[in-house]
Amino acid sequence: MGGRYLGRKLLQAFGTIIMIVVLNFLLFRLVPGSPDRILLRNPNLSPATIAATRQRWGLDKPLIPDQLVAYLESTASGDLGYSLKFRGQPVVDVLADRIWPTLILFGLGEAIAIVVGLTLGAYTGWRRGGPVDYVGNGLSLVLYAMPYFIIGMILLMVFATALGWFPTSGMFRIGASYGSWTDQLLDFLGHLALPLTTVAIGLIGQYSILMRSSVIDTLAEDYITTARAKGLTEDRILRAHALPNAMLPAVTLVAINLGYLIAGAITVEVVFNWPGLGTLTVDALTARDYPVLQAIFLLLSVAVVLANMVADLVYGLLDPRVRS
Amino acid sequence: MSAPAIQPDDLGRARLRLRLEAIRGFAGRFTRRPDGLLGLAILTVFVVLAVAPDLFVGPLETATTGSGGVLDPPSAAHLLGTDEIGRDILNLTIHGTRISMVIGLLATVVTVLLGSVIGIVAGFVGGWLDTVLMRITDFFLVLPTFVLALILAPIILELVGTDAELFGIRLTLLVIVIVIGVTSWASTARIIRSQALSVKERAFVDRARVIGSGSGHIMLHHILPNVLNLIVANTVLIFGGAILTETTLSFIGLGDPFQPSWGQILNAAQTAGAPGLGAWWYMAPPAVSIVLVVLAFTLVGSALDDVLNPKLRVRR
Amino acid sequence: MTDLHAPGEGAPGAGSPAASSTASSGASGATGAGAGTRVATRRQWPLPKGADPDAPLLVVKDLRTYFTLGDQQLRAVDGVSFTLNDGEALGIAGESGCGKTTTALSLVRLLPANAQVTGGEIKLFGVDIAHKSGAGLRRYRWREISIVFQGAMNALNPVRRVNEQIAEPVEVRLGLGRAAALRRAGELLELVGIPPKRGRAYPHELSGGMRQRAMIAMALACDPAVIIGDEPTTALDVMVQAQILELLERLRRELGLSLILITHDLSVIAETCDRVMVMYAGKVAEEGPVEVIFRTPRHPYTQKLLAAFPNIHADRRTLEVIPGSPPDLRTPPPGCRFHPRCSFAMEVCSREVPPEVTFADGVRVACHLHPPSAAGS
Repeated sequence: MGGRYLGRKLLQAFGTIIMIVVLNFLLFRLVPGSPDRILLRNPNLSPATIAATRQRWGLDKPLIPDQLVAYLESTASGDLGYSLKFRGQPVVDVLADRIWPTLILFGLGEAIAIVVGLTLGAYTGWRRGGPVDYVGNGLSLVLYAMPYFIIGMILLMVFATALGWFPTSGMFRIGASYGSWTDQLLDFLGHLALPLTTVAIGLIGQYSILMRSSVIDTLAEDYITTARAKGLTEDRILRAHALPNAMLPAVTLVAINLGYLIAGAITVEVVFNWPGLGTLTVDALTARDYPVLQAIFLLLSVAVVLANMVADLVYGLLDPRVRS
Repeated sequence: MSAPAIQPDDLGRARLRLRLEAIRGFAGRFTRRPDGLLGLAILTVFVVLAVAPDLFVGPLETATTGSGGVLDPPSAAHLLGTDEIGRDILNLTIHGTRISMVIGLLATVVTVLLGSVIGIVAGFVGGWLDTVLMRITDFFLVLPTFVLALILAPIILELVGTDAELFGIRLTLLVIVIVIGVTSWASTARIIRSQALSVKERAFVDRARVIGSGSGHIMLHHILPNVLNLIVANTVLIFGGAILTETTLSFIGLGDPFQPSWGQILNAAQTAGAPGLGAWWYMAPPAVSIVLVVLAFTLVGSALDDVLNPKLRVRR
Repeated sequence: MTDLHAPGEGAPGAGSPAASSTASSGASGATGAGAGTRVATRRQWPLPKGADPDAPLLVVKDLRTYFTLGDQQLRAVDGVSFTLNDGEALGIAGESGCGKTTTALSLVRLLPANAQVTGGEIKLFGVDIAHKSGAGLRRYRWREISIVFQGAMNALNPVRRVNEQIAEPVEVRLGLGRAAALRRAGELLELVGIPPKRGRAYPHELSGGMRQRAMIAMALACDPAVIIGDEPTTALDVMVQAQILELLERLRRELGLSLILITHDLSVIAETCDRVMVMYAGKVAEEGPVEVIFRTPRHPYTQKLLAAFPNIHADRRTLEVIPGSPPDLRTPPPGCRFHPRCSFAMEVCSREVPPEVTFADGVRVACHLHPPSAAGS
């Protein structure tokens, strides 16, 4: 793949990230005097202390460029400020604990959904009609209309509360001590099962619908007729000609979806009380812990931008037409 | 001049006749789509409920007027059971219809207005304005708008204050409307812009220019009518999406407990521990309503899209 | 142009298509045996099971292909017969919708799901492939009959390299290894005038003319008995058209190709083909040697078709237009399908389907103006 294409995508991503950081900075200065408000929450501070604190935080300097530059510098060096809720803990630490539960839940969920959803969609697109097609289609339509957390609530009620097969919340049993790491792993998997299923179900619906219509569209193309005229078996036509083309919109969808996945991420974590970035966001929201919110926004935005860039690169690998 | 001159009335009447024919043709094609009709039927039911909820269940129950016990399952007295402060769930859900639909409607108006204006202007004017607007649009497309909404909401709430009212409507509702509008306009803008671009290329626009029409006039009287089809189909789908977004935002706690939308009811349910307690009657009504309404919008939207924007596909 | 029809074989079958096609294949029978040998000696790959190298290359008898639309049947090809001899180029001409493409695609059953070959014989090397299906049918696709499609931009897979697509049938159908297949692809590209290096390009990186050449190279890959060109030059500009036609001519000479060329452009047929078959509304109107038909067209439709083409050498005159439009093939007109638009229509034309009559000069016509008794002129 051309180095130019790669370089262009990297540059775009970088530019967008800079814009996000600046936006982040502006947003929180938008609220009139917001850092001041934080200070003013404590009624016992004397005006002199307030003034001194303002000066220490650089709030008495002009917004642009001084504060902006200072913000950019500290962000680049990994200093994202201190949490308000968690009494002075560096934001970076607060976030660090919560990243990997979210990564596991959504990374796995996305991976499962991609494999199952695309395969299901390809199968139903290839063999149109029949009960699997109609049922699958209807189900996917309904799932699309359902916010993820509702799926989660249903699963929780049925499988955790009613049937008792899975725990109802958290990532590990509270206060548990484990005999061996396999015990811990099993406990973790038990807690992971329902939220993972929720995420996977929601995504599978979307991916299979898209893949199905993409395969149907692809099968109507002329080069499929050529492949048939060549006397190739149906299996080979599907594998070598139809799927490589039908996958292209799927890659685009996966990339676009990442932005929307975040909404689902936050709400699903709330339903299952999964200790990840999602529940952290809601807690920070309730407590108006702006530094944490800012950092989460930055993290998620950068993640989405990078993921989009990766998707673009993958698309470039698969479709030679965009590389020129 | 012996040829009969065309009177302004004739033109007006001809235009009217053409419009009526177009509407009748459209209605004919739309009624042939069972999915569109089903969606329309569902929406009608909900709109009726939204317009006059008091007619069906009386005034909205509050903490003080709660009529039942705590988390009672459905019974003859309370068809859908009660919540954790004794309010009748049926009552809450039907009132929630109005709130959810109103928020959805207003948010859709903001989104479509913003997106269409930017799309038409960018597509028609072109040049550096187009480039600038599209860079901004693309930025908003890449941004995880949900997170942006999350952050904007408390900021605006702080600006506005939690008790402000405007004509009896609590401003906290409008916050969600604005937030959804500001974060959702980008895809509409993109779609409308490409349509405006292709309309711009058509001959009648050049003709309009030649006879001296100004840009504003052209945009309003020539571009807009031809983009309207797309806007209408897009609006319906955006409405569904707005309801989903509002639901999610409320579920997280950005809603207003005094004007409970469906998402807000679900938030209360979650906070009260309903899933863990097996209080399915608390969650099912708002959940089912959300799914039905969004499904209905999707069905109507795609039926409209097919009818208004037929795609010509040439196959051998 | 090779003279494949010995005059003097006049006896027309009394209106039965079977008789007339025997007559025409008999007429070319003199060269038929030699033609069979030409195929047998030129080929590198074995003939299909049961094939007779001495039989006429392709004999189509009373082919019928119907489309099912709702509860109606569209009779797209309704009793078409013709013969293709080894080394011959047959042009199929007619308006859009007359069934020429459907006829050709029916040979290898490359039809949409709602279409079916409902009757007739398709004999390749004497083997009737009309009722073959599955693996039996696949044996004939590309290895015996290959197709060059119109508008090769969409007919080539956009995400695979051109040389891979040419090598694919060689590898998969002929069982060659990948390296050998790619080498053959390179040879084929050179044969059609594309530098083999360019084979690594993707379809969108080639010009329209080069893509069409690549399609021709691909069609040659398995050394087929018959190549069908479905409007191969229609999507190209005139200069490129000329190049492609020149290429086809050269390949015919060098490789002894047998060609079925489908086009609405009579000038292409005049340049490239030995014989021409004019179709109208799913039936054969007239068929015979190109020179004879162009000089003395017998069927009114053929006359109108030829008259509709401007002649650069003739006097300037207003172009003639054929009034009306082709019939709806779900409910074709009774009798001769052309009679509503024919200026010579008689009373019998709206009642009876005109029988096919063969003339001494090798032309076959289906028109009441030329009843069986009038043949032999």
